[in-house]
Amino acid sequence: MSDLMPGPLRGALTPDRDSAPWWERVRRREFAVQRCDTCRTPRFPARAFCPACRTERWHWEAVEPEGTVESWIVNRRAFGPGDGRPYVVVMVRLAGVPGCLLYGSWEAPSREPVGGERVRGVFVGPAGEGPTLVGWEPVVR
Amino acid sequence: MGYTPFSKDSGVSTLTLACRAIMAALDDAGLAPDDVDGLATHRVGDSAAPSLVGPALGVHDPSWHLDQFGGGSVSHAVVGQAALAVAAGVAETVVCYRAINARSEFRMGGTGRGLPVSPEVQYQAPYGFFAPPQQYAMYARAHMLRYGTTAEHFGRIAVTQRASAARNPRALMRTPITLDDYLASRWIAEPFRLLDCCLETDGACALVITSAERARDLRRPPVLVSAAAWGGGQSHLSGGPADPTTTAAAALAPRLYAQAGLGPADVDVAQLYDCFTYSVIVQLEDYGFCPKGEGGPYVASGATALDGPLPVNTHGGFLSEGYVHGVNHIAEAVSQLRGDAGDRQVRGAEVALSTAQPGYVLPATSALLLRKG
Ligand SMILES: [Zn+2]
Repeated sequence: MSDLMPGPLRGALTPDRDSAPWWERVRRREFAVQRCDTCRTPRFPARAFCPACRTERWHWEAVEPEGTVESWIVNRRAFGPGDGRPYVVVMVRLAGVPGCLLYGSWEAPSREPVGGERVRGVFVGPAGEGPTLVGWEPVVR
Repeated sequence: MGYTPFSKDSGVSTLTLACRAIMAALDDAGLAPDDVDGLATHRVGDSAAPSLVGPALGVHDPSWHLDQFGGGSVSHAVVGQAALAVAAGVAETVVCYRAINARSEFRMGGTGRGLPVSPEVQYQAPYGFFAPPQQYAMYARAHMLRYGTTAEHFGRIAVTQRASAARNPRALMRTPITLDDYLASRWIAEPFRLLDCCLETDGACALVITSAERARDLRRPPVLVSAAAWGGGQSHLSGGPADPTTTAAAALAPRLYAQAGLGPADVDVAQLYDCFTYSVIVQLEDYGFCPKGEGGPYVASGATALDGPLPVNTHGGFLSEGYVHGVNHIAEAVSQLRGDAGDRQVRGAEVALSTAQPGYVLPATSALLLRKG
């Protein structure tokens, strides 16, 4: 699969008032989730209310960007920006937040993911710019 | 109920499409616009609102209307709401419609249009992930990984529904296909090929909802809404459902069946929201027609063909008839229960299930159980 396009695309990154502090942390190469001050339940993505205890008090907590591959696609149809080459988007089950599935670029362009394999988040961004996004690479290459 | 023809380029506005489908539906019922006191639609900023359609047809003061934001997940909710409005006495005759130029104007597949407005988009779009075929393909592969569902299973849905569409004069795609044709169709987003994806269609479809008593006096045999149910769905927020191989239909189904006092075994024909082949498989499981994980083998057994024990998407579905965002599924269910489905009629059909997008992508779903009147 060496014809895969490496790295993430540059579609619209549109932080909102809940998520802006999270994206700011990504730019500093920090992977953080919110932890509820009342019941300690971690949550992601960012929002004000804890769905477990319905309170608003929380703090950011850096966690290891680790997870397992839940699924992936190999995109072969141009829906947006890109150079036309196929690319992989991966769905990751985040280890630090139970029940959290998130998406990212696949940072191992030499091969496709394997179902259930362990992955680690890496901070990625366009050439010449700092990190803006979180991609995923296999723990075992 | 009424339709416009389906095409890839209607050449007219969604307002015109809506008016034409509504006029056809009223004619089918033996009614006129002056009888209409309720209007309802669902849309994603891509179609004519009731506030535009009403005046365009000389319905200037409807006593009830609904302009529901949302995609396929709310398609059946609209009819459920209309039935509630009639039952509550707020309106007597409601027209539910969906008009869409999903190929020539606002491409539903995600090419060449703006991104949807949702906070979740920011966690997806920067990675080149936002189009419905991509999102569904992601869920489909999760199902393949967990349950051994195969491309051949997806292909059997495409092949089976095309065979039904061949008997449907309204269908856009009527040439039969084989499993080899399916496997040879080009990749869109692996594991999906072109023939996993629904059509993008220009067209409109409308349904008339009124009281059972009044319906019995109208031109066509009535169909009864035996149950209407709403449900949640997958979102990307932790704390919610986190099994990508199960949809909100699994939680909704018991509520739906209980309302009608029926079960899956009572369903004679099912129109299951088929934006993609995989959505049929997961709904066969979640609506209780087969055990979890066995949707693929169930389809491969031929069970969902016109001559099978549970004919599914007898019109050809979105994959082959056309895509009117859920409403043409309800219309086909009505047609089967009225007994006017022509060459694709399921003999003795008394109970039909019709379903909305099962709660992926937009975390909501809805469904109807309809019964011959
Ligand atoms: Zn809490």
